[in-house]
Amino acid sequence: MAYNDHAATAHDHDAHDHKPHGWRRWVYATNHKDIGTMYLVFAGISFFIGGSMAMLIRLELFKPGLQFLDPQFFNSMTTMHALEMIFGAVMPAWTGLANWMIPMQVGAPDMALPRLNNFSFWILPFAFTLLLASLFVPGGGPAGGWTMYPPLMLQGGASFPMTIFAIHMMGISSILGAINVVVTIMNLRAPGMTLLRMPLFVWTWLITAYLLIAVMPVLAGAVTMLLTDHFFGTTFFTAAGGGDPVMYQHIFWFFGHPEVYILILPAFGVVSEIIPTFSRKPLFGYEAMVYATASIAFLSFIVWAHHMFTVGMPLAGQLFFMLSTMLIAIPTGVKVFNWTATMYKGSLSFEPPMLFALSFLFLFTIGGLSGLMLAIVPADYQYQDTYFVVAHFHYVLVPGAVFAIMGGVYYWLPKWTGNMYDLTLAKWHFWLSTIFVNVLFFPQHFLGLAGMPRRIPDYAVQFTDWNQVSSIGGFAFGLSQFLFPYIIWKCVRGGVRIGNRAWEGAHGLEWELPSPPPFHSWTDPPSDALIQRGSAH
Amino acid sequence: MSASALTVAEAGKRRRGVRRTAITLGIIAAVFYVGFIAMMIWRATR
Repeated sequence: MAYNDHAATAHDHDAHDHKPHGWRRWVYATNHKDIGTMYLVFAGISFFIGGSMAMLIRLELFKPGLQFLDPQFFNSMTTMHALEMIFGAVMPAWTGLANWMIPMQVGAPDMALPRLNNFSFWILPFAFTLLLASLFVPGGGPAGGWTMYPPLMLQGGASFPMTIFAIHMMGISSILGAINVVVTIMNLRAPGMTLLRMPLFVWTWLITAYLLIAVMPVLAGAVTMLLTDHFFGTTFFTAAGGGDPVMYQHIFWFFGHPEVYILILPAFGVVSEIIPTFSRKPLFGYEAMVYATASIAFLSFIVWAHHMFTVGMPLAGQLFFMLSTMLIAIPTGVKVFNWTATMYKGSLSFEPPMLFALSFLFLFTIGGLSGLMLAIVPADYQYQDTYFVVAHFHYVLVPGAVFAIMGGVYYWLPKWTGNMYDLTLAKWHFWLSTIFVNVLFFPQHFLGLAGMPRRIPDYAVQFTDWNQVSSIGGFAFGLSQFLFPYIIWKCVRGGVRIGNRAWEGAHGLEWELPSPPPFHSWTDPPSDALIQRGSAH
Repeated sequence: MSASALTVAEAGKRRRGVRRTAITLGIIAAVFYVGFIAMMIWRATR
């Protein structure tokens, strides 16, 4: 049997397990699990909204010529798809997982600042309502791409200030969430839970939280400058007034590259939890993983201009950013090596979380390797703004970040609900996702290498075949995602009851709590013996 | 589930730690956030 059922351990209901009911439980929520659930539900809704925009994009690109969307709306779809997926789906999903797991993993009763936690979540629905509402104002939604480059972005209509305000709200929400994570980890760890005993998921989130605090204000500054250029007569990015549009790109990518790691570092943490469990071995090179994560975070601050090699920059600048970008391959390689070494001679089993983690390992590495190709300046001159770039970052973000989120949900869902989900359906979800994500994105490498530009609703006929393959992959991938909420819903409603330790190879404090855990996780800190048993590295 | 309760002194120390870290990070984040925008306004009016 792959998982431990109820007979393995008895439930231990906490005496403090009283909670508010009805709508008040959610609107006034201060409990980390409730807020985590709300974040995850919000992320799921955003994933399907952003996904439906992707379906429209792939529908339009099914054949050359203009079919269904006018070009302005197509541009709005590419812009909104990215904003929805980055700020509405992946980031809230990570915050949801952090809310659920960090207190349980460090031996804390809850997040350190529960009311702030409530506030940082409830900002989000308003921000995204505002952003989505901007699609319906005169002039249409924002259409300048998620990067919002001037001068194109400055030509936006009424949607422009709405987008800027929505981004400010998302940024504030992220910063408050990040502060909460750092305060919780630094202060509420159980006595005996030293930094180097913390689970990798907690470590990666700690580093991610510092990144968030450092770079979200940069984005806020950049978009505020756009706002004042548009409404208050400044000329930061207007050449006619002495400004420089390229300066915006520098500022944006100083935020934007660390943002990429904000999206992916927690994925490294989740995969570092899953692989040891299903290999039934401790993680290989725990400390190296921690230092590799910190190195990646540090390097993320000194590589930003690789996104803009073609704007024209001194040779020394090109060399610096090329080489610093290539350096990232070293700590990332350490991680891939350590995950592989963890599996070596392990007693492997392939439940859904492990399948998603393995898919992550292979496909994220493909995204990483195409990233290395893009880091080479002369090659980048050819790839810039082509579908090759689209293929690259989708490999990093979909089978990378999104698969890790799904793997994480499948890993911890039995703990959250006390029920085992339908493993067969989850494996179907995995196989359909893995097959079709490749059908969707792999051909985009060929399209890019052949010269197809990104962000266009129409294309030359020679790109038709691979676009059709990509679109078919997209529709199939999109449809297969409906299995995910169904599996979760079914699991929440019932299933085979499981004990404390849902997976036989699982280690960590969360597996010492009952399934589902009590309303307040660790009202009393866990003993040192439990902590030692949990930190099996 | 094996657990050991915090003493009053430990709980107090923890509360002070939470307050100190939250205020420090809050100030850093606010200075970053407002600082960028203030610097931008200052540069625009020079």
